[in-house]
Order: sequence, then structure tokens, then C-alpha cells
Amino acid sequence: MRRRHCAAAVLFACLAADAQAQSAGVSAADAFRNDVHAAAGLTCAACHPSGGPGTYQAPPRTAIAPLCATCHGDAAYMRRFDPQVRVDQHLQYQTSAHGRRMAMGDDRAATCTDCHGAHGVTRVADARSPVAPLNVTTTCARCHGDPVRMAAFGHDAAPPADWAASVHAAALLKRGDTSAPTCMACHGSHGATPPGVTAVANVCAQCHVREAELFRASPKKDIFEALGQAECLACHSNHRIEPPGDAWVGVQEGAACAQCHDASGDSGKAILGIRGELDRLSAAVSEADALLTRAERAGMPIDEGRLLLQEAREHQVQSRVLVHGFAFASLAKTAAEGQTAARRAHDVGDAAMEELDVRRRGLAVATLLVLAFLAALWMKIRRLPPAADNPPA
Amino acid sequence: MTRMPLRSWLEERLPLADVVATLRHKRVPHHRYSVWYYFGGVTLFLFGIQVGTGALLLLYYRPSAAEAYESVQFIVTRVPFGWLVRSIHAWSANLMVASGFAHLFSVLFLHAYRRPRELTWMSGVVLLFLTLAFGFTGYLLPWNDVSFFATRVGTDIAATVPFIGRGIVRFLRGGDDVSGATLTRLFGFHVAILPSIATALVGFHLFLVQRHGMSLPPSVERQAAGDPAAMRSIPFLPHFLLRDLFAWTAMLAVLAGLATAFPTELGTKADPFAPAPAGIRPEWYFLWAFEVLKHVPANVAGLNGELVAVAAIAAGAAGALLLPFFAGQTARARRGVVWAGLAAFVFMCVMTGLALMAAAP
Repeated sequence: MRRRHCAAAVLFACLAADAQAQSAGVSAADAFRNDVHAAAGLTCAACHPSGGPGTYQAPPRTAIAPLCATCHGDAAYMRRFDPQVRVDQHLQYQTSAHGRRMAMGDDRAATCTDCHGAHGVTRVADARSPVAPLNVTTTCARCHGDPVRMAAFGHDAAPPADWAASVHAAALLKRGDTSAPTCMACHGSHGATPPGVTAVANVCAQCHVREAELFRASPKKDIFEALGQAECLACHSNHRIEPPGDAWVGVQEGAACAQCHDASGDSGKAILGIRGELDRLSAAVSEADALLTRAERAGMPIDEGRLLLQEAREHQVQSRVLVHGFAFASLAKTAAEGQTAARRAHDVGDAAMEELDVRRRGLAVATLLVLAFLAALWMKIRRLPPAADNPPA
Repeated sequence: MTRMPLRSWLEERLPLADVVATLRHKRVPHHRYSVWYYFGGVTLFLFGIQVGTGALLLLYYRPSAAEAYESVQFIVTRVPFGWLVRSIHAWSANLMVASGFAHLFSVLFLHAYRRPRELTWMSGVVLLFLTLAFGFTGYLLPWNDVSFFATRVGTDIAATVPFIGRGIVRFLRGGDDVSGATLTRLFGFHVAILPSIATALVGFHLFLVQRHGMSLPPSVERQAAGDPAAMRSIPFLPHFLLRDLFAWTAMLAVLAGLATAFPTELGTKADPFAPAPAGIRPEWYFLWAFEVLKHVPANVAGLNGELVAVAAIAAGAAGALLLPFFAGQTARARRGVVWAGLAAFVFMCVMTGLALMAAAP
């Protein structure tokens, strides 16, 4: 075992020697002061073989992962620092595209230090870590977004930019939702490998459970399998996953269904029927929302209407999810329930606007009465006998 | 028991005839600036509206963090005409502040603070401060997010006062942060302590107005001195009182129109653990001070900038309160007072305008 604890004096000696030896080493030494390994009591010698007094050699890239695994693959040792820490990273790495290339001697493939850093390693939960949720796509993009580097492997360098334009990126970067999927969520981290055609639905199903259940129970599953078509990707693409819309359902140009279907036959009718239900529900929700907003801006209380509208929106979400089951009847039932809720919300808005009219009519009558009183008062003032003027006391 | 007219019955027991005779005898100067005399009456009328609508709101309002928002929601949605009462209460508060400021500046520009009306002026200034305190303490009562965070910002300003600042903040909040204790505390100020003081002070103010009569502006005074016969006056009853009634009725019409056309929104319930929403700002009559604090540099002559600004505002308030004692009696001194008053008015308007423009989408 090469892991080594040493006294603080040894560490200072290492750092001092390093500082004298080379300027690049100074930054490495500085970075190591904040390294999670330094905090655990490790020193330079734990990873670097000595090249003579005061000098240390960088391990060859092919040796880095096995070197890290000497500690990170040893459950008994790692338990001393974190009883729940995982120790399977190297095993996973060996199954990854990176690890397999590295095992073949191709040291251009990524290894531990490429993602985690070498001398300033922080915990993944630390927001400064290059593999923290907000940073990991940038870390992956350093290689996978570089066309020159990717060309050498015959890969496309577009995925990072595509992901940045996706709903997942918007959730993470704009809404700050750190549970939103990044590269690792679909490809894995240490075992990073693109999911195959048959596995991609399983990957998406980690989060989109209901959609996956519906799809697997639908007749489309067998058809897609027979065609060798990756399930979710057929409509949603992979990295550039754009916000889905009701317009995707249809047989017009640009619609997802139109890739395989036209308006003819039972499938065309079913598609148009589903689209009709979605459109009717969407229109009902929009109209009710507009009316409630008008009433709200006029100062009318419409809380009950908002609750009903929320119910309609939930049915709208469910209806859109049910599209993945490709069954008209169940979708139509849910959409009809949503339309009913939207109509009731609309009724609340209508009642609020009627109440507003009543208030305005009441105000008009009250204003007329007040104006009449003011006119009478003014006439009374004008008809008062002239005051006998005299200087005030 | 023999039947007797109500008036005779009352006159036998109360000195009504004497009161009416006094009011008929009392005269009010009538000149080109007389219209400004009515703002005091309008402010008093709006104070009465506040007391009436406030009492009605008290029937349903519950002053706790758990129930305040829901009780106001109940008032505006379920209680018959609750929306109107709450809306009138809120609009009347705003109009009362505006009318109070109009009254103060008219008294200032007409130099009605002069001897022997120093105490009338001072009680009026304190009443205006109390009106602002009513606004501040009432703002939190609906317990919505805007009022919650605005109260946090507003009470934080007191922390800039050296030595006792943190103590003042704790006193206002009933703890380290705005909480249910703050709500209960400000409710107590709003419905008990401030009204008691204000009612007593209004009585004192009216007594002094009755004691000294309406002030004549210096220009009218000079005119009257040259030609006493040209000085006109009207009896308080019925001439002045009917005009007052006219102004009150017109104000009531404006109030009803505003309350119906622009009902006060309730917003969303305060969540102390949520981040402060965008656009937090105080009521319009505190905006100028809010804007001043925003623009003041962090450091002014080696002192905390916010402290300097708060001290300057406090000095301005103290100056306004004690104005009769250092404003001279010469024409030149009076011109100085007018220019200082105009500068303060324009400064407050510009700062309020800047704050409104910054808040505009």
C-alpha cells in the first residue's frame, strides 16, 4: 500500500522543496493546502514517487486511476474518513469508455484528475468542485465540447452545447434546480458510457417514471423495438431536449407524429382526436386564466377560481403525460375532467366580474346621491344670508 | 309622564343653546387663502373614517401570524361589504397622510405657526408624525409578503442609531427578527396606544384652534391693518361648517370611488423563510426617505452613511417641530421659511418620483 501518513514537518518540507524546485509546483503546493486529502493528513509522497531529495515525479496517466483506487477502492480504509463512502469508483471506471481506452494504453482518455482536479480536490458536495452539479457539464465540455479533441475519437462535439439549450439546462442553470439532470445523470460518472438504444428509455425513466410506464404498456414499444428505434429519443432527441408542446402531437409538418404518420387511417384519426382534446383543454385553461387575471387585477377575490384552475392544469399535465400511452380513451377522460375544472374556474371568474359590475353600479348610484347632496349643499351655502362682515377678534 | 319634544328635553339637560350661540358668534376670516383652512377639517374627517372602519375591521381581524392573513382574506371575501370597509380604511389612510401634509405645508407657507400658535403648530406636527406611525404599524397587519419584508427593512433602519439602535429594533419587533411577536406588538400600537395619544392630541389641537382662532397670513394682516373695513369674516355656524361639510362630502365621494375602482390587494401570505420578493418598498409617504437611504454613500466623512442620512432626517423632523422657536418674525425670515419649506417639499417630491421610477417595470 502506497498510502502514507506523515508528520506536518514532512509536508512542510515537501512544500518548501517544491517551492524551490519549480514555479509550477508552487501553485500545486498552494492548491494542495485546500485539498480534501491534505485535510485528511496525506502528503505529496502519498501519490508522487520521490525522484530524489526534494523532488517528486508525476505518476503516468495510465497509473492515476489505479493509484487513486489504492485508497478509494479500500472500504476498510475509507471507512475511517466516511463510513458511508462508496468504493466502487475504479470498478465502474474500468467499465467506462474512458477506462477501457485507458486500459488499452490510450492515455488521452479521461482519468480521475481530469474531472476532480489533481492538487485542489474538494468533495463533490462542495460547490467549488468541478464535478458539483452546477460545474460538471463545463468540466465534461472541456473535452467533449472541443471539436479538435473529439475529432480524434470520431465523436461529435455538439452534445454540451445541445444540452445547454435543453429544458434540463434551463432547470439547472435558470431555476437553480440541482436535481435537474446533467451529463452524469444519463451517462453515469465513473462508469460513463453512452446508453444504448435499448437502455435509453431506462435512463429517462429514472425521472420520467409515469411516461415510461405508459410507453412500455403501449403497442408502440414493440414497434419501436422492431424498428431499432431508441424509444424516447424518437420524439424528444437526446441532448437538445426542448420543451414539449401540444403542437408535437399532429400530422402537420414539424409534428413529432408526422415523422411516421399522416392524416389517413385510424392512426391519423387518433392523433387528431388526441390533439383536439389537448387543444380544447389548453383553450379552456387559457380563457379561465385570462378571466381570473382580469378579475384579480380589478381587486376581486378569486382564490377558489385559482384552485380550480390549478386542478385543470394538473389534468392538463396528466393529459400530456397520457400521450405516451397512445390511447385516446384514457386521455380524453382526463382532458374532459380538466375542461370541467377549467369551466368551473371560469364560472368563478364570471361571478367575480358580475360582482364587480354590482359594485360599480352601487358606486354610480352612491356617487349620484353624493353629488346631489353636494349640489344641495352648495345651493344652501349660496343662499345663506350675507354674513355681517367685521374684522376677526 | 308628559311627552315633551326631544329638543326641549335635551336643552333642559345640556347647554346646547349656549354651544350653538357660541358657534354662531364665532367668526372665521374669509380671504383669498381661506381654502387652505379646510385641510385641517378634512384630515380630522379622515381620522374619523379611520376610527370607524378600523373598529369594523377589529370585529373580524385576528392579530397573530397564524391567523392575520386568513382573517383579512375572510373580511374581503366573506364578510358583507368587508372588501369596501378594508379598502376604505386603506385609502383613507393614504388620503389622511396626503391631507395632513397639505395642511402642514399650507400652515407653513401662510406662517400660521407664529406666536401665539406655537403649541398649535407643534401638536399638529406631532399628529402628522403619529399619522405616519399609524401607517407604519398598520402596514404589517395583513401579514402579506410585501408588508413583512418592508417592515423588516423599515425596522432595520433603527439599528443605525448608535448605542441604543439594536434595543430600539428589539423593542419594535418584540425579538431579533420580524415575527408573530412583531405583528402583535404593532397591532397593539395601531389600535390602542397610537389612537389614545392621537385622540388626546387632536382634542388639544382643536382646543388651541378654538382658543386662538384662525391665523391670518401676514399679507392679509397688513391689508387689514391698512383698511379694517375690507377684512371679511363669516360665522362658523352655519357658513364655515357647511363649507366644511361640503369638503368632507366631496372627500367621501373620492374615497368611495377609489375604494371601489382600486380595491386594496391582499397579496400573498408572508413566509418568513422565503427569500424577499423583488420590489420591496414602503408606502408612498416613506418612499422619499427610502430613496435617500438608497443613494447615500456607505461612508460620509468617516461616518456610516446610513447613520448620517437617518440623523439628517431626524434633524429635519426636529427642525419642523421646533420651527416656531427659531423662525424669525421679520419678512426676510419668513421668506427664508418659505424657501426652506419649498426646498423640503421639492426634495421629497423628487425623491419619491425617483423611487417610483425605479420601481416601474
